[in-house]
Amino acid sequence: MEIDLYYYIFWALNYFFLFYGLCLTALYFFAILLSNRSVTRNKRKARFLQVNDIVSASDIPSITLIAPAFNESRTIVENVKSLLALQYPFYELIIVNDGSTDNTLKLLVDKYDLEPFDSTFITQPIPTSTVNKIYRSRKLQYKQLTVIDKNNGGKSDANNAGINFAATELVLCTDADCIIEQDALLKMVRPYLEEFDQEIVACGAAIGIINDSVVKNGVVEKLRLPDRLIPMIQVVEYIRAFLLGRMAWSEINGVMLVSGAFGLYARNRVIEVNGFNIHTVGEDLELGIRLRKHMEEIKVPYKMVYLPETLCWTEAPDTINVLIKQRDRWARGLWETMGLHKDLFFNRKYRDMGLFYYPYWMFFELGAPIVEFIGLLSLIIFTFLGLINWSIAILLFTSVYLLGCIFSTISIFIYVKNFKHYNTGKDVVELLLAAYLEPFVYHPILILGQIQGYYKKIFGVKSGWGNMDRKGFQTLPKEKADRS
Amino acid sequence: MEEEILKLLIQLLLITLIIIYGAIAYTMLYRKWRTSRLKIIESTFAKICSLFLYPNPNLEPNLIEIQRELKSVGIVPSKPRNVQYLIDLMIRTQRSILGVNYIKLKTLFTQIPPYGASASKLNSKKWYIKARGIREIYEMDQSQYTRDLIKLRNSDNIYVRREAQIGIVIFLGWKSLRFLPYLKRQMTLWQQIKIVEKLYDLYPVPDLNHLRRAYNSDRPYANELIMRIIRKFHLTEDIAYIIQFIDNPKFETREAAIYCISSFLLDEDQIGEIKEKFYNISNTEQQLMLLKYFQRISMEIDLPFYKDLLYNGNDSIKLSTADILWSNGYKEEVQDYYYQQYTQKANSDFISV
Repeated sequence: MEIDLYYYIFWALNYFFLFYGLCLTALYFFAILLSNRSVTRNKRKARFLQVNDIVSASDIPSITLIAPAFNESRTIVENVKSLLALQYPFYELIIVNDGSTDNTLKLLVDKYDLEPFDSTFITQPIPTSTVNKIYRSRKLQYKQLTVIDKNNGGKSDANNAGINFAATELVLCTDADCIIEQDALLKMVRPYLEEFDQEIVACGAAIGIINDSVVKNGVVEKLRLPDRLIPMIQVVEYIRAFLLGRMAWSEINGVMLVSGAFGLYARNRVIEVNGFNIHTVGEDLELGIRLRKHMEEIKVPYKMVYLPETLCWTEAPDTINVLIKQRDRWARGLWETMGLHKDLFFNRKYRDMGLFYYPYWMFFELGAPIVEFIGLLSLIIFTFLGLINWSIAILLFTSVYLLGCIFSTISIFIYVKNFKHYNTGKDVVELLLAAYLEPFVYHPILILGQIQGYYKKIFGVKSGWGNMDRKGFQTLPKEKADRS
Repeated sequence: MEEEILKLLIQLLLITLIIIYGAIAYTMLYRKWRTSRLKIIESTFAKICSLFLYPNPNLEPNLIEIQRELKSVGIVPSKPRNVQYLIDLMIRTQRSILGVNYIKLKTLFTQIPPYGASASKLNSKKWYIKARGIREIYEMDQSQYTRDLIKLRNSDNIYVRREAQIGIVIFLGWKSLRFLPYLKRQMTLWQQIKIVEKLYDLYPVPDLNHLRRAYNSDRPYANELIMRIIRKFHLTEDIAYIIQFIDNPKFETREAAIYCISSFLLDEDQIGEIKEKFYNISNTEQQLMLLKYFQRISMEIDLPFYKDLLYNGNDSIKLSTADILWSNGYKEEVQDYYYQQYTQKANSDFISV
């Protein structure tokens, strides 16, 4: 009787995993087709709206770039210099000092000759922590720079303070430690200029990994693949996520997440939904979903789009501990956001978002680590019970592994075909090897981080953003930079 | 049986993987080869242009020789990508050269291949080829195809109709306003920007007759386009046209009206008219934009208007109004208002206790 029960569970689980795997595989193949179409179409469209045309235009929407900074004294001066050099005719930069305890603010004040101005009557449509002072530069060359000094309230709160103060149509939220391509804003504004029957509420672009690359004057001077395996695999992961995932979603207007490290939003819409949610660590996904819900409710046709080009570079965690912390946080953010918007689940009122996109996120983004974890556990248990046919299991594992390799290889192929960042044979071989090692070396760590995050949510373990130690970019010394 | 199926599946997956490797390798090798080919075409083209623009006094440029040379580097109808690259080079060169040399180049380009390549693209079924053809026509100043462009102004594809509309503006100038305000489909912001810029660059003297006739259009995109033209050409006598849209029910039209009016200095009557419309605007952010504008252009503070906003506006409007009054020396009014708020709150607290 007992054996029968085990056998019954064994077969039920087997069929569940098979069905889940087949669905996921079908979705990935579908994503490949969509993303290929999307990338090709984007390239064709870009020919008719080149950055040179935009840079000389006069009526284009103005943009404010908002970069929260918390204890960034090591890099803040250089990063602000790089952000000030972005090409865009109507552009403001707001650095929000989110209650740093080091000398971030002092460095900014000294370097950019900032002076406080009267902020008694500043309007704050989105409530935030207390704003202490607002600074502007006395120097004409930094006239587009504003620094908001506020009490600590977290990244979302800092972004909200920046959005409150911005006076432009569009706001770009980023991190102060990101390196942004010089023409990024000119490219990001394209969808806003070209759309006519749907309002663009948010636009994102691919983010690349810059560990071990050379940065000169805030610009990526020489892009190199990371030396260590963990960040190298993340390069493949990011390529796959942005090129296959986000671009495919963008093609069917199914984007729900515009990355918090680099996202351009329509300011009026963000204010209407009361800005970023300060009570979740998955604030970017939460805002994306809330914006979409809002647009569905007011019945205005809208779009959230993604650009395939890598316009922002960031440093990826290069140790296992930091990676686990990051994925733990992402998992908690996902859990919180899915919980906050559970009313969307198969809700016809929200059309495709309620019927397809949200359930997808629920089953395949939130659910995947749980399914994988259960898979590992059942493998161990059924091994002990002697229920596993090893020859079939090994063949099945090989097939699934090869399928994973195919998806990664296709994303690398699409990337190599359309972009020139990693264009040497050596780079491609290294990327492929990293992709093939991923399931053994990297994936278990991800599962660990994600399950840790879910565990914290289920059992109410308090946890915040966590300390993300970074190695910092390889920056050329000034004299060397000037010479080269 | 199951094992056999799985083994077959693995073989299939391995073959797929090998095919993708092949595709990657081919892409990389082809790119390398293609770059070297393009370099050859570019240097040949550069040599031809310099020979034609700055000829050797003893040696007239031989067109047959030039044609032969182009053919030898792959400029033949059977290689459309090479032809396309040459056209792109021609456009780039023509854009960067002015004066007599511009005319010379234009002559050269009519005498060397490809012949009629851009016009033939207008018959393509693919939107990106058709749109490219239109772009090449207007970039290369081939005004003989204006009629074809007019036909395409209402095309289903946004890129085709956008390029056609830009072409019409380039070739017809202010006369194009006979068509543009009456198009069947919406116009994007970029279309409007491009049309205004082309008018400004190529036809800097406004033709008010054509413009004012377009005022009759009731299409929102046409209203926005005309407002942008009025702004760009600084037509102060036509400001009334913009003012009428300040409280338009459509957000984008209002946004364009506020943006355009902000570049003018208005007289008291016009400011008064906008202030009347101010109360009809449903969006606070747009109201705040107008308040900032009033503050910038007004010589004197309109105290009754601001006091009304201070006492009756929403919180954001009140704060902005307070800011304006405070920074213009009306501190007492602001203090009175906040004191009154404080006493009202104290009284209500007292009553509730």
